[in-house]
Amino acid sequence: MTALRAHGRWIAFAIPIAVIGAFLLSWEIAAGAGWLRPILFPPPSKLARTLLELVADGFPEGVTLGSHFAITIERILIGYAGALALAIPLGLVIGWFPLLDRATSGVVAFCRSIATLSLLPVAIVWFGTGEASKIFLIGYGCFWVMLSNVVAAVRLVDPLLLRAARTMDASRVDLFTRVALPAALPRIFAGARVALGVGFMVIVGAEMIGTIRGLGALIMEARTFYRSDVTMVGMAVLGVIGFVIAGGLQRVEHWLMPWQGRASEPDA
Amino acid sequence: MSAAQKIDIAAVGKRFAGDPSTAPPVLGEISLSIAENEFVVLLGRSGCGKTTLLNIIAGLEKASSGIVRIDATPVLRPGGGKGMVFQQGALFPWLTAQQNVEFAARNRGVAAAARSGLARELLALVGLAGAESKYPFELSGGMQQRVAIARALALDPHILLMDEPFGALDELTRIEMQNELLRVWAARRKTVVFVTHSIWEALILADRIVVMAPRPGRIVLDERVTLPRPRSRTDRTLLTLYEGIWEALQ
Repeated sequence: MTALRAHGRWIAFAIPIAVIGAFLLSWEIAAGAGWLRPILFPPPSKLARTLLELVADGFPEGVTLGSHFAITIERILIGYAGALALAIPLGLVIGWFPLLDRATSGVVAFCRSIATLSLLPVAIVWFGTGEASKIFLIGYGCFWVMLSNVVAAVRLVDPLLLRAARTMDASRVDLFTRVALPAALPRIFAGARVALGVGFMVIVGAEMIGTIRGLGALIMEARTFYRSDVTMVGMAVLGVIGFVIAGGLQRVEHWLMPWQGRASEPDA
Repeated sequence: MSAAQKIDIAAVGKRFAGDPSTAPPVLGEISLSIAENEFVVLLGRSGCGKTTLLNIIAGLEKASSGIVRIDATPVLRPGGGKGMVFQQGALFPWLTAQQNVEFAARNRGVAAAARSGLARELLALVGLAGAESKYPFELSGGMQQRVAIARALALDPHILLMDEPFGALDELTRIEMQNELLRVWAARRKTVVFVTHSIWEALILADRIVVMAPRPGRIVLDERVTLPRPRSRTDRTLLTLYEGIWEALQ
């Protein structure tokens, strides 16, 4: 049983690796044979060299991949953390009082629908081209997504659970802290995951202006110099970060909420 | 009847806010007296208002007219020793079986140290010793209802209100749970009001079967079952009672 399960897990791991490997290999061959123009589709071997170059010397010269990476992560984390710190308490309160929800739902839907990057010019007018405007944009994007998710999470708490708690003499405070809050937690977490994704979408645009540091700036800057290899490496790094963080969040989720969906997994 | 009157339902009517005034009310004028430690089953088809009546007794819904008194005190809110078991268990999914039961004990002021022992004892009573640390999603439907019963008992209720608690279970589990409930009830005597639409469930469990009909919700039969438990499904008396209840339900 255990052997079979380990075998299954190995296959589950090997298949995506094999698919990616086959994809990269055919890309390499196609570029080598001249079917793809290297300036548009630099082969993976070239991308690997670019990666090393970016790590060692940087692009522009002196700004290494590490520092691009660090500043991008820093901006996302500040904007994201700020958005969550505001949106979670606010969303809990709005969600708990139906009247408040009805009063604010229009504004929330409106603000959420504004494409964050369309605020870029306004953000620059308000906050200049420095860090503040970038963090504002990330924060803005994350905040509204998070807020509407937290409100929904509280509104969608199963009323049966609240009724059950009332038959057990739960106070109004208990109903909120010991029933609504844990019941809403899974949806709040899902919202946090979506909001983080928004942060990564916004960052590239937010870093387009007024800076040469950051993965978004790297991608834009490379475009000006026809360095599609650099752009691609930048994209890949963003992808990997998103992937790693999503995985990390999932672990935190399982750890925080062991009652959620663990049943479908082999032996977590 | 020598037993003291426990629950007094006096001319209780219910009409939902959104219903047109021409529609028959959910509950007409229901009057019913339930004695201390009596096991009463409210039986009827869907829509006859039996669950609404149970919710009014629980204090979860307000009557439009009339009044429910428990020990001569009007019911104004849920809690206060009125334990309730819902059809879908309504267990807190983020708490283990043990913690679910402790939740109920906490609010009635059982000291933290005593809570754990009480929960363990009640889980053992409903046949769940060893499952204390399991989350609801790890338990079968029948086991979840056992936890729900243990949780209601942790309130040390004087009244146990049960809203089709076995309605979602398969037939075999259901019969097991009926026997189990009778065993628990024998150990912890309570006044029980049990809602079901199964005639057999009523016959196996009840001291008294109150049959209700819809539009407006009203009582059409109030039948005592004096047969000792455990009852056999082939007992002649029960079969006769079955006939009478079936008639009343038409």
